[in-house]
Amino acid sequence: MSETIASRVTPLGRGRYALERNGRRTRAYAARVGSAVWVFLDGRVHVVANEPEAVAAGHADAPGSLSAPMPATVVAVDVVPGQAVAAGDTLVRLEAMKMEWPLAAPRAGVVRAVRCAIGDLVQPGEPLVELE
Amino acid sequence: MLRRVLVANRGEIAVRVIRACRELGIESVAVYSDADAGALHTCLADRAVRIGPAPAAESYLSVPALIAAAREAGADAVHPGYGFLSESDAFARACLEAGLVFIGPPPEALAGMGSKIAARALAERAGVPIVPGLTPADQSDAALVAAAAQVGYPLLVKPSEGGGGIGMKVVREAADLRPALTQARREAQAAFGDGTLYLERLVERPRHVEFQIIADDHGHVVHLFERECSIQRRHQKVLEETPSPALTPALRQRMGDAAVRLARAAGYRNAGTVEFLLEGAGEDARFYFLEMNARLQVEHPITETVVGVDLVRAQLLVAAGAPLPWTQDELRQRGHAIEVRVYAEDPARGHLPQAGVLALYREPSGPGIRVDAGVVEGSTVPVHYDPLLAKLIASGETREIARRRAVAALQDYPVLGVRTNLAFLAALLSHDRVARGDVDTTFLDEEGGTLLEGHHDMPPEVSTIATLEGVSALAGTASPGVPDPWQALRDVRV
Repeated sequence: MSETIASRVTPLGRGRYALERNGRRTRAYAARVGSAVWVFLDGRVHVVANEPEAVAAGHADAPGSLSAPMPATVVAVDVVPGQAVAAGDTLVRLEAMKMEWPLAAPRAGVVRAVRCAIGDLVQPGEPLVELE
Repeated sequence: MLRRVLVANRGEIAVRVIRACRELGIESVAVYSDADAGALHTCLADRAVRIGPAPAAESYLSVPALIAAAREAGADAVHPGYGFLSESDAFARACLEAGLVFIGPPPEALAGMGSKIAARALAERAGVPIVPGLTPADQSDAALVAAAAQVGYPLLVKPSEGGGGIGMKVVREAADLRPALTQARREAQAAFGDGTLYLERLVERPRHVEFQIIADDHGHVVHLFERECSIQRRHQKVLEETPSPALTPALRQRMGDAAVRLARAAGYRNAGTVEFLLEGAGEDARFYFLEMNARLQVEHPITETVVGVDLVRAQLLVAAGAPLPWTQDELRQRGHAIEVRVYAEDPARGHLPQAGVLALYREPSGPGIRVDAGVVEGSTVPVHYDPLLAKLIASGETREIARRRAVAALQDYPVLGVRTNLAFLAALLSHDRVARGDVDTTFLDEEGGTLLEGHHDMPPEVSTIATLEGVSALAGTASPGVPDPWQALRDVRV
């Protein structure tokens, strides 16, 4: 890749940066959040970190496991262990921020375990249902 | 005049009401849950009273806690804001019984408008057109299935109580009705404590056009023109504007007259909004009464901007028994205003609500830009409540000027530490159909998923800045455009 973009970055303090790209100026903002840096540039936010866990604001699911995407209350569990499900079947319904969020099976399979019950307050990344 | 007002709410609307009180020389009392002890509204008011733990049911939704707080603080009036208990006739009645002025409609009007059945009956009596629909007295599945056949498909299943799209389901054919009934009933029960369902014919591709009204104790009722709120996601408004690109002066007059007629028939007092569905555009358009929101609306600032009034101030005056500060003839629309709602949510993951600390938060400013925010830099966004952070209102002489101002302001609105929909809103306002005003309530469902396409690339300067901040190596961007949450949950490592 050839060096086509000549840009200069100047810190201005309080998270502000001045940028000059090919003679055009713009501003950027940055903040440390844990071990990551969040950067605002051209109206968009980017997250940079040296560990993948810090880049992931949410949790990636372990293979075969469905986890809560946000802090929420379990309002319905539509499956039982041993049940065969098709891709798209609703497994669990969560309620958060006044809305119901149905969680559907990402693929066909058999339910190995249900790790939540109606009324549970679940946290992001907490496994809810495991598929074979 | 009122002396000391308790603001029974949180976030940006509590801040808005506290400011209006201060301008009128009225003392303000904030209430806060344990999650909001350091929140902006808590710090801004003249007094603040703790009302309970974080869950809303034990704090902002607790009538006894709020009445006790009002007594403790020596308040003589209560402003309910929007959401929470703002449309609860029980809360309004409890305030009156405690000798407090409720800054809103009388409990009887709230009860009448809170029930869609009663509101529709009232609209019919007032000669305001309504969409065909039924609420069977027998709420069994069998009776609802029979009623659905009478209403006709496609139809909407709605909770009879409440609003905001909660529990609302679209059903296109009879086979899909029963699961929708089960889910809607559960959501209605959870959100409003009442599982009664209402079936309504679905008007295809309607626009959502609402009229602001306000009434005083002296027989005056005026409307302050329309707001168009067609851009909605799952029946939650995302963008509102006024004037509506779809209304002609004659249609505007007919709808405004209908809104005032309805408010009069309801014995309404204080500020309220009459929502209509609009089918078609121009002189041939037909409008149907949808519901009345018996409170101040989230989107009230666009009306304030274009009509040049202060609605919260007017609410406070009217509640104190003063006549309305303006007559219908004095009210005019001037220019155009657009509001977008800034949410702590992740558009890349099905708009999942987000929580956290706003490590950096800098609001845009400039001509025609207003930001009504409930947060400042350093604020914590709790998991317990609606994730609305702020509202950005852009105005100008024309719609296009307002739209461009909104886009420019959104691109100059850095928020770091919590993901927001700011980039999504800028993309939305830049969409051809939004630029032309060619939208209906299906717009976001159809186009929303594509708005953030191409937002994956990270400019090289980002890693330079990260290095200067002391972090290097692995990188990911915040906004891959994946609309389906499960897809995102499986694939996104970002």
